[in-house]
Amino acid sequence: MERSEAIDILAEGRGDAISVATMQSASPWYEAGQSDGDHVDASACMGSASSLGLGLAIARPDRKVMVLDGDGSLLMQLGSLVSIAESSPANFYHFVFANGLNQSTGNQPVPGQGKFDWTALALASGYRHAMKIEAAEDLIEQLPQILELEGPVLIDLTIAREETPPRFPGISMAGQVAKLKQRLAGH
Amino acid sequence: MTTGAEPVAAGVDAQLIVDEILNLGVTHIIVVPDTFQRTLIAKLTERDSPKLVRVCTEDEAMGVNAGLYMGGQRPMMLIQNNGIYASINTMKAIALDAKVPTFIMVGQFLRDVTKRVEDNRVRAVRLLEPTLDTWGVPHYRLEGPNDLGVFREAYDRAQSDLGPACVLVGAPTV
Repeated sequence: MERSEAIDILAEGRGDAISVATMQSASPWYEAGQSDGDHVDASACMGSASSLGLGLAIARPDRKVMVLDGDGSLLMQLGSLVSIAESSPANFYHFVFANGLNQSTGNQPVPGQGKFDWTALALASGYRHAMKIEAAEDLIEQLPQILELEGPVLIDLTIAREETPPRFPGISMAGQVAKLKQRLAGH
Repeated sequence: MTTGAEPVAAGVDAQLIVDEILNLGVTHIIVVPDTFQRTLIAKLTERDSPKLVRVCTEDEAMGVNAGLYMGGQRPMMLIQNNGIYASINTMKAIALDAKVPTFIMVGQFLRDVTKRVEDNRVRAVRLLEPTLDTWGVPHYRLEGPNDLGVFREAYDRAQSDLGPACVLVGAPTV
């Protein structure tokens, strides 16, 4: 599926979930109006989206946390799969935008492209559920049920290669951190 | 003046450190294993609170700390000196650039306690403070029981600066 399709579907199904986005999902998530609410980007921290999401999920067990990760990003902190399973937050939903590429640095292939399996990695790490979704219509159909599962859940989204230049929203993470902390203190 | 093999740094009773951490109101301790703080980790493991969050790397610890902070908790990290070197980019991006209070206890793994930190042969020990200075990260030495006041000082510094601050554990806790 196209990244834009996945973004639109996740935005539609998000509800009141706290979100974390990174790299090439950050700008479209922002353009979909999803950065205005309870949201933070993982900027320039080489794979920290999953860890930020884990901290939020532990801190706020009353709220769902959606992490919009990248395959290249998650590979940089692959051990976080085990750390997430160790804490096992029931409210943790991990969407991996997997195009097999480090798109933000010019579409270089990720290590092991095509040789490893995200769902197998997640389940072997101790996630409660993991599944691969290749088509937008399947994501539309399955997302409501996915968000009712007990986490941690990993969804491997098959994303098409994009040739457009990498984009970044240019929003200060410090501002987002302060705003999200303030918002979460209020509700 | 120190001569011969006379210790420069003395191990602090782990229970005294637990008491300091409790006084700070810490809710979660994100732990990556450290030899110098082994008895402290064991003591913390026996308790229900603060909650221990075990992670694989110091990079992850920085992210989890930030998430907990945004979610209204009062987290801290417990790592070793090599972990600072391993996670400098994440400390730069999250603790410094994103302005997240990040209070870190750092064990000076392999420190020879009969020598001043500056005179230690091991680079990981000797270069830790210069590395933190390069990044503008405040640090405080815990060289013995008389230094317990550094916990409050470092924790408050992290909160007021909205950034990292480290307590450097100079001898194995007992």
